[in-house]
Amino acid sequence: MESTSVRVEALRKSFWDESRGEIRAVDGIDFECRPGEIFGLLGANGAGKTTTLRMLATILKPTGGQASVNGHDVLAEPEAVRRSLGFFSASTALYPRLTGRETLEFFARINRYPADQVGQRVETLIERFGIAEYAGARVEKLSSGMKQKISIARTIVHDPPVLIFDEPTVGLDVMAALEMQRVILELRDEGKSIIFSTHIMSEAEKLCDRIAIIHQGRILALGTLEQHRQATGQHYLEDIFVHKVMEVEGAEDTT
Amino acid sequence: MNRGRPNDRGVLATLFRYEIKRLLRDTRMILIAVVAPLVLFPFIIFVMRMVERTEERRLVETVYEYALVGDEAEWGREIVAAALELEANDPDTSRAPVRFEEQQVVDADSLLIASGIHLVVEALSPNAYARIRAQEAAADSSDAEEDTAEDIEVEETEEEDAFSELPTLRLRYRAQSDFSRNASDRLSARIVELRSQLRDSLYRSRGFPIKLEQIAFVETENTASAEKEGGALLGLALTPFLLLLMLTGGSIMAVDAISGEKERGTLETLLTTAAARSDIVKAKLLGIIAVGIAVAVINILNLLVYVVLGVVDLPENFAVALSAVDLVLLLVLFLPLTVLISSSLLLLSGYAKSYKEYQIYFFPLFLVFLVPSLAGMLPGMELRSVIALVPIAGIGVAVREIMVAQYDWLFLMLAFASTGGAAVWAARLTERTLSTERLISQSDLDEADLVGGPALFPRHVLRWFGVMWVIFLIVSLWFGEDLGVRGQILVNLVFIFLGGSLLMVRRYGLDPRTAFALRPVHPLVWLAVLIGAPAGYIVGIGLAGLVNTYVFPVPQNVLEAFGDTLLGDEMPLWQLLFFLTIMPGILEELAFRGVLLHGLRKMLGPVGICLLVGAIFGIFHVSLFRLVPTAYLGMIFAAVVLLTGSIFPVMLWHFANNAIGLVPAHMGWVTEDTVLPWWGYALGLLGLLISFGIIWMVRTPYPDLKKKRPDAFA
Repeated sequence: MESTSVRVEALRKSFWDESRGEIRAVDGIDFECRPGEIFGLLGANGAGKTTTLRMLATILKPTGGQASVNGHDVLAEPEAVRRSLGFFSASTALYPRLTGRETLEFFARINRYPADQVGQRVETLIERFGIAEYAGARVEKLSSGMKQKISIARTIVHDPPVLIFDEPTVGLDVMAALEMQRVILELRDEGKSIIFSTHIMSEAEKLCDRIAIIHQGRILALGTLEQHRQATGQHYLEDIFVHKVMEVEGAEDTT
Repeated sequence: MNRGRPNDRGVLATLFRYEIKRLLRDTRMILIAVVAPLVLFPFIIFVMRMVERTEERRLVETVYEYALVGDEAEWGREIVAAALELEANDPDTSRAPVRFEEQQVVDADSLLIASGIHLVVEALSPNAYARIRAQEAAADSSDAEEDTAEDIEVEETEEEDAFSELPTLRLRYRAQSDFSRNASDRLSARIVELRSQLRDSLYRSRGFPIKLEQIAFVETENTASAEKEGGALLGLALTPFLLLLMLTGGSIMAVDAISGEKERGTLETLLTTAAARSDIVKAKLLGIIAVGIAVAVINILNLLVYVVLGVVDLPENFAVALSAVDLVLLLVLFLPLTVLISSSLLLLSGYAKSYKEYQIYFFPLFLVFLVPSLAGMLPGMELRSVIALVPIAGIGVAVREIMVAQYDWLFLMLAFASTGGAAVWAARLTERTLSTERLISQSDLDEADLVGGPALFPRHVLRWFGVMWVIFLIVSLWFGEDLGVRGQILVNLVFIFLGGSLLMVRRYGLDPRTAFALRPVHPLVWLAVLIGAPAGYIVGIGLAGLVNTYVFPVPQNVLEAFGDTLLGDEMPLWQLLFFLTIMPGILEELAFRGVLLHGLRKMLGPVGICLLVGAIFGIFHVSLFRLVPTAYLGMIFAAVVLLTGSIFPVMLWHFANNAIGLVPAHMGWVTEDTVLPWWGYALGLLGLLISFGIIWMVRTPYPDLKKKRPDAFA
């Protein structure tokens, strides 16, 4: 395996809108994510975070540039890419009429986890997330906290080396969000490469080893929190973010 | 990537198993869509039968009240009494006699309209009858009266002139009342019977040796076995019935398959797994097929149970005999139909953004399937015709023929192939739909959209020709007669074909030289055209003859009428040449082998382009009997343009073809009776092959055609 799990080079994605014409949702971004690292994509809504992550998950086709996951090109080997990653977002719902256990078993199998080890893997995860009590109940009967745990277990059930969390704490209460953060840190410690997108500054500050500030489809700055602080002279990520954005907006205004 | 291949079947099986599992757990859906119809079906039948029996009983038990009026009422009373005597003493016990009772009333007609009595019997003298008829004629012409009562006249005269002194009976009843109608039917039938008896006794008393019925006695005999008759009956309804069950049954699964996943938000979860798109589509397709078949089988078994229990009646002496081969044949024929239905339902599910949208789109799809499936019910429709090539309709007619043990193997295969082809196409389209980003992203994204202009044209070209065809059809149907042949040609060629082509060139910023294929050609091509045009024309005649004889018979008078329209005496030769050879040669070519072919060049392979350009050219010639010859010509022309990269040779070929068809007939050198010997056709075919041989040798292929996609991107 390469030392870099995710590599993104000059990645672009344009959409066409009848009234607005071409929209460059992602406009030539570069970054990489290594095993045991949480890489943060920090940006406002509509900055291009979700589009980037969807290209990595092979749901969207890039308009230009390249991206690879675990050494597999997103265009040439989409299935191998998807087998190497777990994707979690607010829009990846669960099947309401399956039980928690069935959900995990289903996703393990279709992600081609070795068939003879599926049962054992599912039980391990049930135990790890403490969901044994309700693993036999249909998902539709569960509370949102319970669903969240099953959803995370679903994301990692096939033990992928790369995990993508697209705004995972949106809509969660404080306790559930903290639980999510705990799990993500745990997974990082297990050596997973984690790409984490958020618009919540404190979350990025707390979790991410490196942070890319993304704005209007472009990465304005990339580095550790310390590097960002030194480059901008600001302490808090929120101020760093505003500083970088204002830099660009100001430059655009003067042109 | 290959690491996972051995597991693919496992992935497909898992996807399928869970599709079914999720459906079976939707108890509310199962109850409403599967169980409820099973319970409701016999209940509805039971209620209907109960109502029907009650109604029948009431029709028999009712005492029918009638009034006798008219200036010959006494005579009428005698006739009615004798007729009712026949009713009461009918030796045929299969039908219970009904009772009539005369009522003495003042205003019989008003009472009839007010449902006070069932029937008015009017006995009229010839004078009174003539007077009433005259009054009615005057009322009819002024169209003033709307009478709710209808008349039946039982005249005592067959030759009015000779026996005009005989009276007439008129039965007045209300058709909207079953009882009034029944009273009239019964009584008039008995009066007719009485008339026969009276006539017979009159003849016999005058020495006529035999009964009248014995003259030219007719007896009909049905030579078909009960099985054949039953087969013919079942064959009519089998395809639409199964289609109905498959559509409604498959829909239970299909509605949830993609549109449901979109609505729930599980589609993105599924699409980010390692499962191949093709496996996801296959699993969903198999799910719809399985559920569709299961629902059809359950309903058929349910029906059989009710037939055995006697809840549902079959027609009298109903029998069906199917051999094992017949059953296999039926299953083979229903296979592509099942796949086509299931793929289309899945496609619909992919297209719809939600359950609601799916339900909105379902009804039009339902009609699109149901209408062709009824082809088997059309009287006189035989499989040995173009119907075999129409998906679903071909199966409908084929099934009917198998049910009466009639096997036209070639056309059975054609029917299978046409529906099978449509099924494969629909399945592929579904897979592509699931790969499109529109499923996830709301933006209407496409590279062609982004680049716009010429890149967008191939996606829109068929829409343009669709609109042009509609305008063309409206002009021919609504304004055809007013415009005359020349006017129609001018409108079609100049406004629709040339105008439409120029609009497309302008709208998409196409280079006219490229779009119209205005390129020079090798000089030998002209020689090939001079050989090919007459040869191709002769082959065309042969082809049209074969089609018109074996596939779609066209009455001679239709052909003659068409010839007369074009060869109207009023058109001088120069006009004929200008309107019917030069103009189509230039303008039709610019539209069909110019912009249309240019738009399709990257969408299909060369054979596909020829077939589609030919077919579209054919349907622009509207009438069914010209479809095949013009489509053939369109294909030849498209092939020449693809091989030469230029439109000029086919302009000459088109011009020459039309001139060969029109000028000799116009000059009277040939007539409709002129017949070409077989070797003429053989020579034509040879000429055509030589012509294409020459073109092939000096070919300068059409540029920028569809490229084969490398396997890595397949």
